[in-house]
Amino acid sequence: MSSQERKSYRLSRRQFLVASSAAALAACAPAAAPSPSPTAAAATATAAATATPGKALKIGQLLPFTKVYAELGNSMKRATDLYLKQKGGKLANRPVTVVYEDEANDPAVGAQKTQKFIEQDQVDFMMGIVATPIAYAIRNAVDTAKMVFIETNAGGNSLTRDVPNCTPACKSKYIFRSSFSSWQISNPIGTYFATKKGVKEAFTFVADYGFGTESAADFTNAFTAAGGKVTGTLKAPLGSADFLPFVTQLKNQPTKDIYSFFSGTDAINYIKAWNQLGMPAAGYKMNGAGFLTEQDVLKEVKELANGAVTSLFWAVTLDNAENKAFTDAYQKEYNLLPDVFAVQAWDGMQAVDLALQATKGDTANKDAFIAALEGVKFKSPRGDFEFDKVTHNVIQDMYIREVKVQGGAAVNTIVDKIARVTDPGKPTT
Amino acid sequence: MSPEVVVQQALNGISFGALLFILAAGLSLIFGMMDVVNLAHGGFYMLGAYVALTVVQRTGQFWLALVIAPLVVGALGLLIEPLLLRRLRGRHLDQVLLTIGVSLVIGDLIGLVAGREIHSIPFPAGLDRSIAIMGGDYPLYRIFVIGFGVLLAAVFALVHRRSQAGALIRAGVDDAAMLSALGVDIDRLFAITFGVGAALAAIAGVIAAPVFGVFPGMDVDALIYSLIVVVVGGLGTLSGAIAGGALVGTADTFGKVLFPQFALALIFAIVAFVLLLRPTGLLGRVRIAR
Amino acid sequence: MKRPAAIAALSILGAAALVTFPLWSSGWESSRYATTILRDMLVLAILALSLDLLVGSAGLPSLGHAAFFGAGAYAAAIAAQRLGSDDLLLGFAAAIVVSALLALVIGLFAVRAAGIFFLMLTLAFAQMVFALAFQAVDLTGGSNGLANVHRPMLFGLDFNGPEALFELVASVFVLVLLLLWRVRASTYGRALVGLRENERRMRALGYDTTRLKLSAFVLAGALAGVGGALSGWSLRFVSTNDVGIGRSIEAFVSVLIGGTGSLVGPAVGAVVVLFVERVLPSSIPFAETVLGVLFIVFVAAARQGIVGLARAAYARVRAP
Repeated sequence: MSSQERKSYRLSRRQFLVASSAAALAACAPAAAPSPSPTAAAATATAAATATPGKALKIGQLLPFTKVYAELGNSMKRATDLYLKQKGGKLANRPVTVVYEDEANDPAVGAQKTQKFIEQDQVDFMMGIVATPIAYAIRNAVDTAKMVFIETNAGGNSLTRDVPNCTPACKSKYIFRSSFSSWQISNPIGTYFATKKGVKEAFTFVADYGFGTESAADFTNAFTAAGGKVTGTLKAPLGSADFLPFVTQLKNQPTKDIYSFFSGTDAINYIKAWNQLGMPAAGYKMNGAGFLTEQDVLKEVKELANGAVTSLFWAVTLDNAENKAFTDAYQKEYNLLPDVFAVQAWDGMQAVDLALQATKGDTANKDAFIAALEGVKFKSPRGDFEFDKVTHNVIQDMYIREVKVQGGAAVNTIVDKIARVTDPGKPTT
Repeated sequence: MSPEVVVQQALNGISFGALLFILAAGLSLIFGMMDVVNLAHGGFYMLGAYVALTVVQRTGQFWLALVIAPLVVGALGLLIEPLLLRRLRGRHLDQVLLTIGVSLVIGDLIGLVAGREIHSIPFPAGLDRSIAIMGGDYPLYRIFVIGFGVLLAAVFALVHRRSQAGALIRAGVDDAAMLSALGVDIDRLFAITFGVGAALAAIAGVIAAPVFGVFPGMDVDALIYSLIVVVVGGLGTLSGAIAGGALVGTADTFGKVLFPQFALALIFAIVAFVLLLRPTGLLGRVRIAR
Repeated sequence: MKRPAAIAALSILGAAALVTFPLWSSGWESSRYATTILRDMLVLAILALSLDLLVGSAGLPSLGHAAFFGAGAYAAAIAAQRLGSDDLLLGFAAAIVVSALLALVIGLFAVRAAGIFFLMLTLAFAQMVFALAFQAVDLTGGSNGLANVHRPMLFGLDFNGPEALFELVASVFVLVLLLLWRVRASTYGRALVGLRENERRMRALGYDTTRLKLSAFVLAGALAGVGGALSGWSLRFVSTNDVGIGRSIEAFVSVLIGGTGSLVGPAVGAVVVLFVERVLPSSIPFAETVLGVLFIVFVAAARQGIVGLARAAYARVRAP
């Protein structure tokens, strides 16, 4: 299904000529407009057989399939494909074609593919984008084109906020976010630490780029506001492959509770260096935003992450019916445990599905479609899901998770829950 | 920084430098011997790491991986030199384009075959502990890396000084054309050199995998680091690669913790600074022919 | 006498066809997107052309040319935002001044080196510029990028629409081609080629080769800055990728596969590289492999790049 979908784009004039002359040679095609792909043609045919023939629905998914975030893109694609498979390839009785494009972790590529979705594919709406700079880069383009866009990963705070001069970005009527804002995964855990966990002092150690800086600031604001004290901070420059020097610094300062923001390979290297220097035995505690110990990291570091406390809006162990159904289906389909990126994409699909049902499949009336998305409420694998009507960022519960070794496997166990975490919607100081 | 911390960070710097030396050794060899800037070095490094990952996943044997990966990648190097590189002798820009091409193909095919998940290789059993050194714990694996770097340098130096292969290498670095005129099978020598260089890249991939990880894009990071090391140290000389590794490793380590906001620029500033003072690198020899 | 006239006529016709592409392609189903793609190709082509002044003409292989491209992009965008003016000339002026100055500073150091050392020095300086752009969050937006880049105006002419912007990019591309053509035909251009062929002889002939190289470096940097300004206006965004090594390599390989030292070669190379990198992945998941194989094949088959290949084919056709 996937490769066919990726191939299905609107034909250029030249391709049209080639295709139509080939068709003429085969002497079997009527002179009607060519179908973009066999899948869509077949789907349209089946749809036509039913009582109300739904118009084909086209979704543009902009995800990384190459470079460092490729696996995040793959994971989100898996969830999208699975969702559509479960729905028989239709949303609100409209046969769905997904056009996948690779953003290659480059804003220039992302901007260009967005133009492709808008101008050539003329998709009904857009989803995806892993890296915050790319989301910021296309913000104005989708806003101007009145293209509804469901952000399914990038957490940069500004995307769903009122920001002076809209710099680096600001909320848009057309942009929804089914993932998180960095405030949501960093601020509540700050309050939690100072109040419920009784932590007096913390030290922050984050990746030195936009996301890490935001996370450290949001944590620090909440932690100090609740009476805690941040005793120092350390930033790892981009591409710091060797984490030993940083962990050496951490070990040679007295504050035991470390708050970190790292993800992916950085998180793996950090956790390994942490253990090599015997930080747990020396009484240091690893904490952070949830990506520090997400599935992609945990499967590599395993019990080395034992005891790490993080906050995120989901965990594979989360005990609810929706999560069980989702996890089982995903595992059955792909023989893989889902990760949080899959959940973000899955919920994005659920949200548009419900909104489409509310508008009876209509996406042409943008205001109605947006209103429908604003009204969406459902039980997600992460718990209750709805969009903030003001900011279009997701309102969700935040879980405090602790890595524990259970039955020989390291898992994020749920320790506590902070209900209905809502992004403030404007810059905090 | 207290004296203990300075000592610990110095150790970190030395072990990182040793890793960089191992990483850059193959690149330096190929450049010194063949006058080829091998931009596929990162690709060989990445392939070595992925071969190691496969071996470790199947057998759990790190040491087996350390043997198999260089054999596989070395064989690839032995093939690439006569098939693609040989006809480009002396054509530097074409070599650059070709090796970028090889690197792209290797990186992309790895992604298509092995997937694009991020991985890490566990530290080999026995080396996953720390030992007490000068008032602090120090990871055994890092000491192993330092030892391996020293060993590699020693082997190099021995081969270089004592054996016939070393004589050929020294002669090749000085004047490959003359060597050929003297009846040495220069084609064979170059193929072997390229194979050994590729195998060294693979060894670096295996040694670095437990520390840096195994992931898409690792080839570019490794290539840039190794280019820096050989250029700072002096192209094509063993002592240069050692000096480059030690300087860059230590400077990068202290730079990161002391001036984190300048760390990104720091090692490149060192490159520029060294090249301005000594246009052929710290211990580079002047090459007359270009 | 007839051939040059025919070539001139064809060139003018080609330039006119290029600039008016959005008009005559407007009937196409995917005209708008084709315009976007072609626009981005031309921007990369400008960068590649400017780089070829160093690689092809003067024999200076720079692997850090994106530094000037990015500097131009940031300069045009920041100048417009800080001064509150969307004037096209202001944007270009800012881009040219900043990138030329940067090239002068870097060039003072870099042109003393040659070969692989020049390549590494330019890479090193470019990475420092990248680090600067990454860290100077207040100025450049850092890793988040610089958003809200306004498209420029000139004497009431608004380049905000995709067609108008394309025409701007295409016109500048033609002007850059024209300029480079003039440079190559001049004594100065021939002196640059002399540098590549035999620097010592040039020195013996009394040329100040360092100054010659430096002037080429600054000119190439300024032109790259112009390309950068156009990139910022095209995407309405400047990211650290625009000063990164990826962009430098894109330009470098464009020059090499197009054919060094030929006027249209780098432009053709840019078109091919961008097609494989940006358009092909929509249809196949292994575009990077295709690009790599393309490089390998071109090195093996086409010594003078695509343009050299075309020339050889033309010669063969005319030979009998």
